[in-house]
Amino acid sequence: MKVHALVLVSAFTALSPRAGAEVLPECAAHRERGRLAEARACYTAALRSESDALVLAEAQWRLGRREEANALFRRAAAQRPRDPAPRLGWARLFLESHNAAEAGKLFEEVLTLDPNAAEAHLGLALAAAEVFDEEATQHAQKALELDPKLTEARVLLARLALEEQDVKTAAAHLDAAEKMPGSPLATYALRAAIDQLAGRPESPWTKKALDRNPRYGEIYATPAHLFMLQRQYAEAADLYRRAVEVEPELWSAHAELGVNLWRLGDEEGARRHLETAYRGDPYDPTIVNSLRLLDSLKRFRTFRTRRGILRLHEKEAELMRPYVEELLEKAIDAYQAKYQFTVPRPVQLEVYPDHEDFAVRTLGLPGLGALGVSFGHVVAMDSPSGRPPGSFHWGSTLWHELNHVFVLESTRHRAPRWISEGLAVYEESLAGEGWGDHLTPDVIEAIREKKLLPIVLLDRGFVRPDYPGQVAVSYYQAGAVCEMIAREWGFPKLLAMLRAYTDGRATPEIVETELGLTAERFDERFRQFLAARTGAIVAAFEPEWKPLMKKIAALREEKKLAEAVEPARRARDLYPEYVDEGNAYELLADAAFERGDKAGAAAELDAYRKAGGRDPAVLKRLAAWCVELGRKDQAQHVLEQLLWIRPGDEELHVRLGDLLLEAKKPQPALRELQSVLALQPLDPVDAHYKLALAYHQLQDRARTREHVLQALEEAPGYRPAQKLLLEIHDDHDPD
Amino acid sequence: MRYQHLLRAGALIAALQPAALARAEVHFVVVGGLGGEPAYEQRFAAETRELEAAGRTLSGDPSRVRALSGGAATREAVQEAFGAVARAASSEDVLVSIFVGHGNVDGAVYKLNLPGPDPTCDELRQWLDRVPARRQLVVLATSASGGCVAPLQRTGRVVLSATRSGTERNVPVFSRYFVEALRDPTADRDHDESVTALEAFRYAEQKVQRFYADAKRLATEHATLSSDAAREFVVARRGAAARVASNVKPAPPALAARRAALETEVHALRERKAGMETEAYWTELERTLVELARVQDSIDVATGQP
Repeated sequence: MKVHALVLVSAFTALSPRAGAEVLPECAAHRERGRLAEARACYTAALRSESDALVLAEAQWRLGRREEANALFRRAAAQRPRDPAPRLGWARLFLESHNAAEAGKLFEEVLTLDPNAAEAHLGLALAAAEVFDEEATQHAQKALELDPKLTEARVLLARLALEEQDVKTAAAHLDAAEKMPGSPLATYALRAAIDQLAGRPESPWTKKALDRNPRYGEIYATPAHLFMLQRQYAEAADLYRRAVEVEPELWSAHAELGVNLWRLGDEEGARRHLETAYRGDPYDPTIVNSLRLLDSLKRFRTFRTRRGILRLHEKEAELMRPYVEELLEKAIDAYQAKYQFTVPRPVQLEVYPDHEDFAVRTLGLPGLGALGVSFGHVVAMDSPSGRPPGSFHWGSTLWHELNHVFVLESTRHRAPRWISEGLAVYEESLAGEGWGDHLTPDVIEAIREKKLLPIVLLDRGFVRPDYPGQVAVSYYQAGAVCEMIAREWGFPKLLAMLRAYTDGRATPEIVETELGLTAERFDERFRQFLAARTGAIVAAFEPEWKPLMKKIAALREEKKLAEAVEPARRARDLYPEYVDEGNAYELLADAAFERGDKAGAAAELDAYRKAGGRDPAVLKRLAAWCVELGRKDQAQHVLEQLLWIRPGDEELHVRLGDLLLEAKKPQPALRELQSVLALQPLDPVDAHYKLALAYHQLQDRARTREHVLQALEEAPGYRPAQKLLLEIHDDHDPD
Repeated sequence: MRYQHLLRAGALIAALQPAALARAEVHFVVVGGLGGEPAYEQRFAAETRELEAAGRTLSGDPSRVRALSGGAATREAVQEAFGAVARAASSEDVLVSIFVGHGNVDGAVYKLNLPGPDPTCDELRQWLDRVPARRQLVVLATSASGGCVAPLQRTGRVVLSATRSGTERNVPVFSRYFVEALRDPTADRDHDESVTALEAFRYAEQKVQRFYADAKRLATEHATLSSDAAREFVVARRGAAARVASNVKPAPPALAARRAALETEVHALRERKAGMETEAYWTELERTLVELARVQDSIDVATGQP
């Protein structure tokens, strides 16, 4: 037997056309045709007859013994320090075992031995593609440049193009790949995917592949992967299910099926397939993490609401439930009316206090930068307790994600990212004062450097960003695009566009038919819209605003607040959305307060709040000033807004509860005071006493008694509680 | 008003008779250790000042409050401060000693970091032992302070520490919140207008937990308390309680005795709670609390309280 490197690596590349010289080609041929028993016998025979470590490694790997294979690859690499082959095989084993870092090191080692090793560039491309790194394309192109017959690189380029929904480029790569040597199966799978994504479920390529290899699960798993990327989880799950039917040992498909079923709310099915996947591939962190998280769900409590299902962690369920439930129902009401659509199933909302749990729920892996995600009618998001206090407007995020529920469900998940994210961003900004994303310095830079994408390419900014921060810039752009359409054509046009996407039409056509402009003209119109809104700050950002901010910071440092007022006003007026560190509003408020103008100070901080300022300490200061100025309604409003930012703040609930009690609004006061108790307060006596007062205002004697006694149980001499006890006692029993 | 009630919860313990209480005095020693860098120097000095002020309010006599911080807080000066208390205090008195700053464990020996030589835990113990006051509260709010708890323990002495062992070496935030407890009304958990060492400890402990939870950091300090007898030491007074020493008319003895009896009844009832039927417990508690409230009404009328 000749010594070669082998193919069959990750789920996607399994049975891919060719990856360099083949080890045990006759065994590989059995596999390629789905003759698994023969393949197994062939590899087993090789183990008996061969002595070369590389061949043995290959055979062990294909027999599912990865640890033995790993040891043999190590030995082979040591025996042949100048030969790329053992390292290439070993790296592929690492790739299949979900260890891209080690694989990458070995591919780099190969490149030090042979800088023109096309296989190594291909390996780096595959590793990059797994994490949607834009370098995947460059590496694949380099591999092809070095070896134009490297079919697997061509197929990878086709897949990458399809991931970006660039069917034309993908088809061109596949045309080229068909003329190249090696197995055609991966090409068939991508052809089948193109058909299915275009709404042709019965693709002739599926039959062709299964005729060649009846156990070729990838013929379904590859399209499933692409459906999943387009957030069409039900379609993906259906295809993965078919993949494991034809190839029950395709562990990656079991894993993806499990993850997708979970996204669809089927936890039992998810667990079953994830456990199957784990038995076959215990190295996949996605499987392990997902199973662990599924186990930990017993620590979550489930609540049915009018039209939804809430899952909240037991440690914060009592606190969070009333606020989450209120907003969930409010959002469903609002979207149902505005989008003229009723979600056919209860909306399931899961709130994770541990961000890494949320990340695992979303991707199966930790390290996700997002705050929330919608899988359709199932939504997962961070809890505010999972983020630094005040850094996260959870109300805005919830509103954003629930918009996705309506857009994805009403379009059968066919809305592209630009419009689904754009609508969500747009709706957030309408939901409340200071809600939603705002114009950040990164966005200003991107506008200034003309980095915004044309409408037809805007999805790329979300899926495969070209520069750091492009995802955030794309969110802003998409939101602004939707806002422009709503303003200039009317909101119903956006609904019409959603309907057109549901019908499978593409962006250029939709823009032209619904808005009456070519995509290029639309882009021009958007540039004008954006210039009217941001032109001043984009022009002044570097030459004026930044120097002003520097000057303000220096004056603040020197405590010369009075001198800083004029430059701060100019900075604020130039860029009113800037509410982050060192913003002008706080300085102007401090300066006003210093000169005894509390009303002026409060006005500045209220403008800060309306512009999107969210620092809880600043907002609480504003509320305190409002109280001192006798504007208790305003104070109440400010504190109520803070509930959507930092609901775990005991002081917030205490102060809001006090204001509501004073305003004789016992029902909302009850909610705040119950939140205080749920937070295990520093002063439970006070919380019980105030709850008693609220119930007393509601003339609920039984509960008044219950809470006043609980207060006095801990603090028998607490005079206000004693007086309330006597009052209810004397009222009840005047004698 | 509520003189005896205050004393029941306070340093000058309920078991003692008023005559004995009248003789008892509270002595304070507050030490703010070496900061090592400006931010800590300022923080420790500010905490020392606040503790000193609280001590003055509480003791009613500035001469019984000895506070040292920064360059003045040398080993010799601290030793001398304890020596002065030893000379002034009687066995009926109360000693409250509070240490903020850095500490460390060198080998197995805890040391308080001061300018010049650092006193060891054993030396602190010797200085405390020389003070005749039987009831002593020691608050070790320094890093590594858990390494000095066991050596300091003895009958009548309650030790609070910011850390549970000598290996918790990061500067604790406990002291910040212990000081805060002296001015934050919510620390007064039973609303008797006095903050006991136990209440201040629980307040600070809870605030420390929230501090680390909010910062998403693993807690590097875990405060400890050697005995619930910390409830017998008052560390701050507010409102009417703060005015006690001045000129509040005492409650009529019969009413005061009845109130004390009812309070004792409430405590006894709480202790029996687990073994009682729920409704029977609350009914009985209500009856007692209603009477207690009426007695307090009468006391307020008699003493001219609003």
